[in-house]
Amino acid sequence: MNLAPADTRPAWCPGCGNYALLKTLDEALDEAGIDRRKLVLVSGIGQAAKLPHYTRANVFNGLHGRALPAATGIKLANHELNVVVTSGDGDMYGEGGNHFLHAIRRNVSVKAFVHDNQVYGLTKGQASPTSQLGMVTKVQTHGVVSWPLNPLAVAIVEECSFVARSFTGAPDHLREMMVAALCHEGGFALLDILQPCPSFNRLNTFKWYKDRVRPIGEAHDPKDRATALELAFRWGDEIPIGILYTSARPSFESQLSPLGDGPLAGR
Amino acid sequence: MTVTIRIAGEAGQGVLTTGGLLVQTLAELGLHVAATRSYMSRIRGGLNWYDIRIGESPLWAPAERANLLVALTDTAMETLAGDLANGGVVLYNGAEADGSIAIDLAGVAKELGGSALYANTVAAGAVLALLAYPLDALEALLAKEFAKKGPEVVEANRACARRGAELVAGSAGALPAPATGGQRAGSIYDGATAIGLSAAVAGVKFVTAYPMTPGTATFACLAGLADRYGIVVEQAEDEIAAVNMLCGATYAGAPALTATSGGGFALMAEGLSLAGMMELPIVAVVAQRPGPATGLPTRTGQQDLAFAVSAGHGEFPRAVFAPGTVRQCYDLTRRALETAHAFQTPVVLLTDQFLQDLQQTLDELPAEPDPIDRHVVTAGSDYQRYAETDSGVSPRALPGGEAMVVCDSDSHTADGHLTEDLDAHVAQQDKRSRKLAGMTAAALAPQRHGPPDAATLLLTWGSTYGPAREAVDELRSAGESVAMLHFAQLWPIDAAGVRETIGSPERIVCVEGNATGQLAALLRSVGALDDCELHLRYDGLPMTGTEIAERIRP
Repeated sequence: MNLAPADTRPAWCPGCGNYALLKTLDEALDEAGIDRRKLVLVSGIGQAAKLPHYTRANVFNGLHGRALPAATGIKLANHELNVVVTSGDGDMYGEGGNHFLHAIRRNVSVKAFVHDNQVYGLTKGQASPTSQLGMVTKVQTHGVVSWPLNPLAVAIVEECSFVARSFTGAPDHLREMMVAALCHEGGFALLDILQPCPSFNRLNTFKWYKDRVRPIGEAHDPKDRATALELAFRWGDEIPIGILYTSARPSFESQLSPLGDGPLAGR
Repeated sequence: MTVTIRIAGEAGQGVLTTGGLLVQTLAELGLHVAATRSYMSRIRGGLNWYDIRIGESPLWAPAERANLLVALTDTAMETLAGDLANGGVVLYNGAEADGSIAIDLAGVAKELGGSALYANTVAAGAVLALLAYPLDALEALLAKEFAKKGPEVVEANRACARRGAELVAGSAGALPAPATGGQRAGSIYDGATAIGLSAAVAGVKFVTAYPMTPGTATFACLAGLADRYGIVVEQAEDEIAAVNMLCGATYAGAPALTATSGGGFALMAEGLSLAGMMELPIVAVVAQRPGPATGLPTRTGQQDLAFAVSAGHGEFPRAVFAPGTVRQCYDLTRRALETAHAFQTPVVLLTDQFLQDLQQTLDELPAEPDPIDRHVVTAGSDYQRYAETDSGVSPRALPGGEAMVVCDSDSHTADGHLTEDLDAHVAQQDKRSRKLAGMTAAALAPQRHGPPDAATLLLTWGSTYGPAREAVDELRSAGESVAMLHFAQLWPIDAAGVRETIGSPERIVCVEGNATGQLAALLRSVGALDDCELHLRYDGLPMTGTEIAERIRP
């Protein structure tokens, strides 16, 4: 395949967390033993959403905010494919917020890797749903006054099948979380990945995250929903990273009798 | 001759049950049926009615006035009794009413069956007697319908039907009625079901929608067929999710379809554009109701033609179909799916509340699975999803094999990767646009009913076929020189061909269910038509042949 004419080189800023994320994703896919031919990377729009173009996979780079419904359609049409969504906080929690709520309810076996840098990158620095209170931008000129969304707490409240957080500055941890998410069976997996945006987020810098992230101790039982929620509420001097929660819900597609005869796309 | 029975009452009172029993019975008697529904946007109360028109030959549309009104409530009596055809009869549900035949339907039902639920059967028996039709077909139907509930329930129903007939015995044959045929005139289908069945037969494997009247009837029909045909049916969180799920499902290879109405389709506009850009064969059934905004949620209209032809930002090829009959709902759903797959682009099937609910007697519709050609290829590792071709249609591989299938909503190169290479952008735009030539060549030409040299030519589209056809027949039998052209495909249009087909009649009248004449505007915009008169109706009710004929008559 001649990729020369296409813009397939990453177009991210120096110091962008996406570089580490891309490299770690490639490693994690290999470690999880995923056949790239059976892999579909799905994204919406944003800096994170460009990632599928920079690795070897089937790609569905759709509309802003709509990665999850597209991924749902792909997984239901061919449940033998590995379907991984890579999108940012604006794409997933803002424009796609309604789909986020319902994808978790539905529990289709889609893995959502959310590049969460708490700011809009592609549109140059506006607040995102996870932006810190008081963050001043060219649009939020008096600082952000809407309280940030807590995606992990929302997911745990909805009994999401797999809920984890990691940080691009901790590549070994990130790889471990990605592999765990990729290998998770039983439904929707959310991996919220903290990453710095050196161009537009001057509050939550690489150092800001690095000083705060703390791996969750091995004593935590991810099936303990109350403790998981308590971990999700922690945000400040310490930010827990690791697997917060897993539930034992059946996946959506495992409950669909027409899929028993093989993928819909093969008939 | 034809007779129209109008059964009217509150929502939840059994209008549909009584109507359903009669439609099946009358078809069994060998009568041709066209039944339509008029209902309010509420679950209880209000005023709903069910029109059953019967005749000795196929019927295409409802009649303006009823010959027999079955008034289940005082409101129905007050509102509709003054609107009967000459010589019309009222069957009133109550103790007595001046100038009408009164039966206490619920009282009889409770006496014979122990429940007011049997009132529908009493009414059905009375209606058949007023038309001097035998009861045996109804009794056989009741035996079949209620077999599961036991012989006592069957017998009580039969007794109620017979009592209903006895109570109007003095007025038996009060209405001149069409002669019954020797055998069943056909099976009863409505438009919503014909679309759903056709999609299932054609191999649609994934259906997703957000409930919206009157599209929901097709969605629910497919949910009912899902187990038999192996279809995954999912209610989406909104129409945006539905259309994006379709894009995902068709990318992965499953034929997929959604059903909605104007407002929901508006939410799908961005997704339609995505399907155009990614070249995905999605099909949206859009059942129109009068707008704008929420409009009249349970009424009919043809206001979304211009929107269907133009919805979605940017420029991309699409096809728009609009069936005119229940049979055409079946045929064009398949054609919509075939077109979407042959040209890898979105297709819209426009219907409306009237046609969704219209029941007609038809020959049995094929129900055996008969999947369409998905035009899928197997490719190797050098595969390019958007390879340039003369036709504009690139070989379509599915993800999961050797070929990496890369699709992007951004402008992309032939391999599907995003690019800002402006030459590539233009090349791909041109490639997609080239499909239009093939789609135009394959487009359905408008269908003529009436003589080729008629002095007056009616132009219609979609569900106005039936009323316009009846108007043409009525006018021609009165000696007028009239014909009609019906457009079942609204995009793309072979402008030169249409202009030639229209010819140069003395009068051209565009007959449409909207306030601005959207077909006329569309035909003018492509140079297929110069000027014409308009006959428009947009009060939320379907047109009738008589109404059109009155307007056209010189």
